[in-house]
Amino acid sequence: MRTYPLHWALGVGVFLALGLYAQRLGFLPAWGAWSLWAGYLFFALWGLRWGGWRAVPLALGLLAPLFPPLAFLGPLGAALSLGRALPEKAQAAFYGWALVWPALALLLVWQVFPTFYAFYLSLFDRVNFLRPAAFAGLQNYRILLEDPLFWRALGNTFWYVVFTVPTGLLLATFVAILLNTQVAFLGLYRTLFFLPYITALTAAAAVWRWIYHPEFGFLNWLLHTPGLDWLNTPTGVFALLLRPLGVELQGFLAGPSLAFVAVMAMSVWHFLGYQVVILLAGLQAIPKEYYEAAELDGASFFQKHRLITWPLLSPTTFFLFTLGLIGAFQVFTQVYVLTPTGGVLQDTLTLTFYLYNKGFRDSDFSYASAIAMVTFLVILVLTLVQRRLLEKRVNYEI
Amino acid sequence: MRSKAARLIVHLVLLAGGGVMAFPFYWMLATSFKSPQEALQAEPVWVPERMKPMNWLKAARLGDSSLFGGLGPGRSVALFFPGPEAKPPKALVPRSPGAFFDPVADGTRVEVARGEGGWWVRLTNTGEAGFRRVPLVVLWPKEVPLEPPLPPDARRSQGEYWRLEWVNAVPGALGYVFHNYLEAWDAAPWGRYFFVSFFTASVQVVVGLFLAALAAFALARIPFPGKEAVFVLVLATMMVPGEVLLIPNYVLLARLGWLDTFYALIVPWLASVFGIFLLRQFYLSLPQDLFDAARIDGAGYLTQLFRIALPLSVPGLVSYGIFTFLGAYNALLWPLIVTQSPEMRTVQLGLLAFVSEAGSDYGALMAASAFVIAPVVLGYFVAQRQFIQGIARTGLK
Repeated sequence: MRTYPLHWALGVGVFLALGLYAQRLGFLPAWGAWSLWAGYLFFALWGLRWGGWRAVPLALGLLAPLFPPLAFLGPLGAALSLGRALPEKAQAAFYGWALVWPALALLLVWQVFPTFYAFYLSLFDRVNFLRPAAFAGLQNYRILLEDPLFWRALGNTFWYVVFTVPTGLLLATFVAILLNTQVAFLGLYRTLFFLPYITALTAAAAVWRWIYHPEFGFLNWLLHTPGLDWLNTPTGVFALLLRPLGVELQGFLAGPSLAFVAVMAMSVWHFLGYQVVILLAGLQAIPKEYYEAAELDGASFFQKHRLITWPLLSPTTFFLFTLGLIGAFQVFTQVYVLTPTGGVLQDTLTLTFYLYNKGFRDSDFSYASAIAMVTFLVILVLTLVQRRLLEKRVNYEI
Repeated sequence: MRSKAARLIVHLVLLAGGGVMAFPFYWMLATSFKSPQEALQAEPVWVPERMKPMNWLKAARLGDSSLFGGLGPGRSVALFFPGPEAKPPKALVPRSPGAFFDPVADGTRVEVARGEGGWWVRLTNTGEAGFRRVPLVVLWPKEVPLEPPLPPDARRSQGEYWRLEWVNAVPGALGYVFHNYLEAWDAAPWGRYFFVSFFTASVQVVVGLFLAALAAFALARIPFPGKEAVFVLVLATMMVPGEVLLIPNYVLLARLGWLDTFYALIVPWLASVFGIFLLRQFYLSLPQDLFDAARIDGAGYLTQLFRIALPLSVPGLVSYGIFTFLGAYNALLWPLIVTQSPEMRTVQLGLLAFVSEAGSDYGALMAASAFVIAPVVLGYFVAQRQFIQGIARTGLK
């Protein structure tokens, strides 16, 4: 036996530690933990036979049922006492895994496992802490597909993407191009545009709520619309705009409610600075020579930006587009502060808000998990479609 | 872009846009200095009385300390109102509504005396304790022109008189200007909220950075079996949107008995895929020769990590640290879910509670919003470059 896979002992040790915790919490039956322990025993014995007395710290891990982290610390101690006795390759393998495991174990526990656990929860009938839950199969999903509030939330998410992503990108590109013209006071302007992004959404939404105030709000004074209750108007904006023309729109066609448009305006304001900074970094990466050559050829301001800036900036734009798309599914804070009840007739409901309501207001964890899983699926499909359709047109080479 | 006219236009457009972006901040600050009556005006008040330096000087003369005001036992303060002898004003210290016993109203003697060319309103503390605030109401005859020693916080009509109200007749300069801030600060245990927020965010940054640096170094610089699998797993984790994790992580924390503790706020977000990627990118950009040289000198992987990679990656660590801190400090949804007791509230939760508590006291609400965002904004002005670069780095592919 020339070498000993200490990194395997470490891996089994990590799983033993996690398994012991899982068993304590009731996620893993006792035999599962014991078979992990047996696996660790095998590697510990192998190690002792290979390394002799210097591998003794490995045995420490066998006490893990008393204190689970020992299963991780045991192999670490063995590595320190074995030191250079391990061949070069085994050392690389061990240290690689030893450095990765802390972060990886946390990811497994708090991100990978929960993803599957959410799906598992969604298969039950009303999981909560009050009573044992009954297995219900895909019933939650069946209910979800006929749930008008879920469709309202999905529709709002759709409008959020349609309204905020193009508006934000256009405005940000415009501002970034202006900032990139060697303008004086660049720092001042950048600060002005960037500050909203680093302010907490809670505080920003509180300020906007005050600006939208129906009686004393600044916006109503500015627009000469006294008494207009922005945040409590459930009528769709398309319906509002077309009503003077005698057209009555209903349902989805009526568009997002005025309240939700108010939420979206605030969101554009909040995220614009981020987009400007990212786009400005993208613009600065474009070589100046392209513009100089174009100027020699007599290109106008708009020609230069349409033919050089736009294609060369497309990876950045694409990145921001993807981010905006995914971000739309996570809108919560601004809606919760601006319209705490989800608006009149739930007109400002978003997916995350609905999930929060179902899970933490109505204590229906399984239905909330079903919402989460469907959202996950929608995002996944959208990302794939977007990659297929749009990424072909993205130019990654400069 | 060469001509002067074009430059001017660029500046004008940027100024207009920047003005729109900055307006909510100005409105927040302006409102935070307004008295309730100023805040609730149909016609907006652009510069409230408390923002005018003339009034700071006037306020500095009222109260024991020119900065912080107050009225100690046995001390008195006199306010002068120019006016003719024929029409005497009336003055009183209003009782707080519904209070059975009001130490300030009961312990203050109010006298109105005729002075040269006007009336003196003298307030004397007859009690045993000092007062920080002494509210005052003066009824001033309507036909006499008014020149108050300090602009009243509210002015209402009451029959023949103007009812002039001051929330504090002994404010001192700072007490006058920052009245709403003091009110908001006293209304909730903000010190505790700030501690919870800062503690949560700092631990997340420090421990998260450390873990991410370890993993990123291994993924960038150590050839170990299974590296690709780990990388793919980490990549796949990035696909999972945050809201999927809310419910299962809540259940997990409930089973652990960690709800409403610092563990719940910190532990689930310690390992950050984003941080691992960012730092891995950084380590890959360092020249391999550096590590080879160290290896020849007999440095192990840990020495390479702590003596070479970490010191060289400080810019990457700073930008990730700023990003994580912002995320943790500004988070609302997660603290809202996993904490219940007021002792575990973060500032954002405290502000959320204050939004519903403050009702129509928009001055205090805007003051609270202002001091909630103050640490981050101050941090931005101190480390502007790191902020911008840190955020810009998140866009690198």
